[in-house]
Amino acid sequence: MKKFIKKFGILSLAGLFLLSACGSDGDGNEGANGDGESTVLKVANGADPVTFDIQATNDQATTRVAKQIYETLIEQTPDLELEPALATEWEEVEENLYEFKLRDDVTFHNGEPFTANDVEFTLRRAVESPTIGHIVDSIDPDTIEVIDDYTIRVGTNDTFGPFLTHLAHPAVAILNEKAVEDAGEDYGVTEVVGTGPFVFDEWITGSSVTANRYEDYWGDAPGVDRIEFSTIADPSVRLIELESGSVDIAYDISPSDISAVEESDELTLLNTPNLGSEYLGLNMKNDTPLQDLRVRQAIAHAVDVESIIDTVYMGVGEQMSGPINELVFGFNDSLEPIEYDVDTAKDLLAEAGYPDGGFTLTLNVGDNSQERIRVSQVVSEALAAIGITVEVSQMEWGAYLDATAVGEADMFLLGWTTVTTDADYGLYPLFHSNSFGESGNRTFYANDRVDELLDLGRYTTDQESRVDYYEEVQEIIHDEVPWVFLQTRENVTGLSNRVKGFEHNPAGNYDLSPVTLD
Amino acid sequence: MFQYILKRILWLIPILLGVSFIVFTIMYLSPGDPVTLILGEGASEQAYEALRIEMGLDRSFFWQFFSYIKGVFIDQDLGRSYVSNRMVLDEILVRLPNTIKLASWSILFATLVGIPLGVISATRPYTKLDNFVMFISLMGVSIPTFWFALLLIILFTSTLGWLPATGFTTWQHMVMPVFALATSSMGAIVRITRSSMMDVLDQDYIRTSEAKGVSDRKIIFQHALRNALIPVVTVVGLQFGALLGGAVLTETIFSINGIGSLMVNAIRTRDAMMVQGGVLFIAFLFTLVNLAVDILYAYIDPRIRSQYD
Amino acid sequence: MSMEKNEKMTEELITIPQGAWGEVWYSLKRNRRAILGLVFIVILVLVAIFADFIAPYGMKEQNLANALQFPNSSHWLGTDDLGRDILSRIIYGTRISLTVGVSAVAFALVIGGSLGIIAGYYQGKLDTLIMRFVDVLLSIPSILLAIAIVASLGSSLRNLIIAIGIANIPVFARVIRSGVISIKEQEFIEASKALGANDLRIIFKHIVPNIMSPIIVQSSTGIATAILSAVGLGFIGLGLEASVAEWGTMLNSGRGYIRTHYYLTLYPGLIIMLTVLSFNLLGDGLRDAFDPKMRER
Repeated sequence: MKKFIKKFGILSLAGLFLLSACGSDGDGNEGANGDGESTVLKVANGADPVTFDIQATNDQATTRVAKQIYETLIEQTPDLELEPALATEWEEVEENLYEFKLRDDVTFHNGEPFTANDVEFTLRRAVESPTIGHIVDSIDPDTIEVIDDYTIRVGTNDTFGPFLTHLAHPAVAILNEKAVEDAGEDYGVTEVVGTGPFVFDEWITGSSVTANRYEDYWGDAPGVDRIEFSTIADPSVRLIELESGSVDIAYDISPSDISAVEESDELTLLNTPNLGSEYLGLNMKNDTPLQDLRVRQAIAHAVDVESIIDTVYMGVGEQMSGPINELVFGFNDSLEPIEYDVDTAKDLLAEAGYPDGGFTLTLNVGDNSQERIRVSQVVSEALAAIGITVEVSQMEWGAYLDATAVGEADMFLLGWTTVTTDADYGLYPLFHSNSFGESGNRTFYANDRVDELLDLGRYTTDQESRVDYYEEVQEIIHDEVPWVFLQTRENVTGLSNRVKGFEHNPAGNYDLSPVTLD
Repeated sequence: MFQYILKRILWLIPILLGVSFIVFTIMYLSPGDPVTLILGEGASEQAYEALRIEMGLDRSFFWQFFSYIKGVFIDQDLGRSYVSNRMVLDEILVRLPNTIKLASWSILFATLVGIPLGVISATRPYTKLDNFVMFISLMGVSIPTFWFALLLIILFTSTLGWLPATGFTTWQHMVMPVFALATSSMGAIVRITRSSMMDVLDQDYIRTSEAKGVSDRKIIFQHALRNALIPVVTVVGLQFGALLGGAVLTETIFSINGIGSLMVNAIRTRDAMMVQGGVLFIAFLFTLVNLAVDILYAYIDPRIRSQYD
Repeated sequence: MSMEKNEKMTEELITIPQGAWGEVWYSLKRNRRAILGLVFIVILVLVAIFADFIAPYGMKEQNLANALQFPNSSHWLGTDDLGRDILSRIIYGTRISLTVGVSAVAFALVIGGSLGIIAGYYQGKLDTLIMRFVDVLLSIPSILLAIAIVASLGSSLRNLIIAIGIANIPVFARVIRSGVISIKEQEFIEASKALGANDLRIIFKHIVPNIMSPIIVQSSTGIATAILSAVGLGFIGLGLEASVAEWGTMLNSGRGYIRTHYYLTLYPGLIIMLTVLSFNLLGDGLRDAFDPKMRER
């Protein structure tokens, strides 16, 4: 009996340690990067990718990795110009029908040649996708026609102004039909096939994604042999890892850490404006004083945006005067920011029939941004100063999005990134009455003239009149204050001085193929 | 004894069923909609309804619970993550080794340091050394693990640059997480060793040997320690369970790809399948360790062993 | 489960005659460490009650122009990222941490205690059922359980208390059950049973007063762990809304500044440690004081 017990005890303990030993073996391989020969670029990403089936997600963490593996037909330069990528040229052959000529020298990472059939497959699948379908919903799948291996025609339902820009969206990158079909449920998890400069190697969920240089890449050879993305959620830990040399590039340095990067001799800070804007949404769906324009104006006057930028964002970003920023096509530069002026705010409240405030509003904020949580506290204090009681509730991100989509919160803090760089994407989802709720219009703002102008802008290709429409929309929104416009966002990246050739783009999904390491 | 072990192993089943039920209920009551999680926000009505019915979300709570239980215990299928669509089991198996590694090294460290410190304290009670050890161990139990971890990162990564702050591959990566996590367990082990050792040293047979002139060292190691270890083993077992929980915060801070950080993320993203599967695994592990401890316990303590023979 | 043996040790503490409180206090008084803990706890309680009078600034009082000031004469412990006085926030935070700690333990004590008493007093099938339920709860790490419950209920002071309370039920159920079992067999209980006293009367008149010592000891250390759990939840962002000065939330919002403005995390961390330390010291002292063997020494 005694022997049995002894054996059992030892066996179970040994089992435990064996299990853990297996783990360490697996990890050991992955850490092998000191072979001297190959250059490995190590990048700290703030979140884990969701899936590399890029039509099943549309999040920044995934795109930042996927961008190295996949390519789109058309690409957008950092200056937001459209340039050829997998498509060499395109023209509108008939009204609302485009013809694309494709590169004939491209092979997928699995060896399959890239042809028009893959483009057809990708676009049809994209239109069906519940996640990214809205990006390509202008495409009429019935019009997609493969002319030959390297020519394809794609038509749109209606005239859609920003059609080509949407094709440059990384979510519409070209997939290989065979790879997707063969892998089934595993596509995007263990099987990932693109045409880009790097080949997907391994994804350890929650930890890292690695990709190796693609030897048969059609374009310029990438500057490093291998990229290792590691997921480090805590921004200050990302910085610590950058400082200690464990990573070469750290994305999204938090405002409070910017000075540390700037002061370091071994690090470089890159910050450039992006297409994002932050706002305080004022929900008009419910029966609250917010339905009164004067109350909304009062709130806008009561919030000191400049000092939010200075203290919470450490000077990153600029106060906005309208819903989109100057990088977006269609931006109206004649609008002035709403001034911080507590007296005016009080007067406006009095006019609206609330001489000393005296009402309560709820303010929801997602718990995934320390900065927004801070802003919520500043707003709450600022409104207390004009007599409005604010009940702040911090919610888990998913629950928060759900709550704001159904108009549960009176006020909420959110941001929007106009990834397509076109005012349509920056305004239509947010202010058109067709877009109530989760499509983006979480303030339930409705204005017939705005709806009309947004429709006009969407279904016209004449770019000059589009600008006119959008400028008028911005003016109306500026005056009607469905949002308190906060500040523009910036991309902030910390780089080791070894890194050369890294460039930002406004969309925040950076191309790492030109990057080299000293 | 064999029967006893068999009985205990069979007990695992109702325990795991109970754990499933509790976690399933909590996740069921959580706000957030699995269908939206899977399809994203832009899904069409039809697609939404179709998936809702396919997943059985239109059925009753008990139907859903039993179909989950059937999946787990009969088809051995923990389902797929609502967020990433990965197999829950695969996700867990990728991360479990890291957590076991972290917890095992921590308990090893805590025990190897804790027991000797406890013995030293007990053999020199109420001296300065004893006071010092007791103070340190109390600090260990009282310090918030995550705060301590932050202090370690500041010192060893930011200031001295000796150790990496994230990842879990080489021994350098493991030093800080293991130390941070082990501190509290170490404190608990020192305290129980000391009090148990003092109890034993106070007993008649030890006093008799002392009177007979047996050397101190022999008394401590041959007679006292073995008996004093009995309650210590229990505490070590319980601490292992506590470590599995404590790993939640430690893994989050050191970006360790373990089951604890997986659970925190899954809970926050309402990934119910993942939470249920993960907690089930942790509970299984915890119960198994407790079983091992009880067997070990029987092995050390002849009085108990005789009960089962 | 293995805890059962652990409980044997606590049984020894239980057999304290009701009249011995004076002796316990006398023994506690001689224990310098316990008194230190007790004094600190008393101070914390006073601070929590009189926070409004003691705190130099308001809990939510912002001064954006004064953000991130190092400790100085007008802000002894510095100001946070929104210019709020850290000392004042720590003072107000005492209220929350003590409330959560004490209420969560009270919650666990009432529910866990009832379960423990029922299980221990009636034994049999009911006992098995309750204790298996407790085993189940016990096999889920308490912090995970608390996180899941808070995530599911939403974060508020009440939900925090419930979550941490539920996670602490098993410990109290076990300790109290073993206490009840050891007392139940004693003659005076049998005697009052024979005299026809009803169960409730026996439980509250005879059993509960006699198992006060393990309850008190467990409560003291229970408060310490409850405070740590609450702080842990705050730290991973599941605590209260950030303008409320909860210590864990303060740590969480300060961690981004830990390298440049260490005091944002240092002082809240220290106060948490001291508070938990005090409850542990007191718990240890009480344990010794209730233990007749220890008192002899």
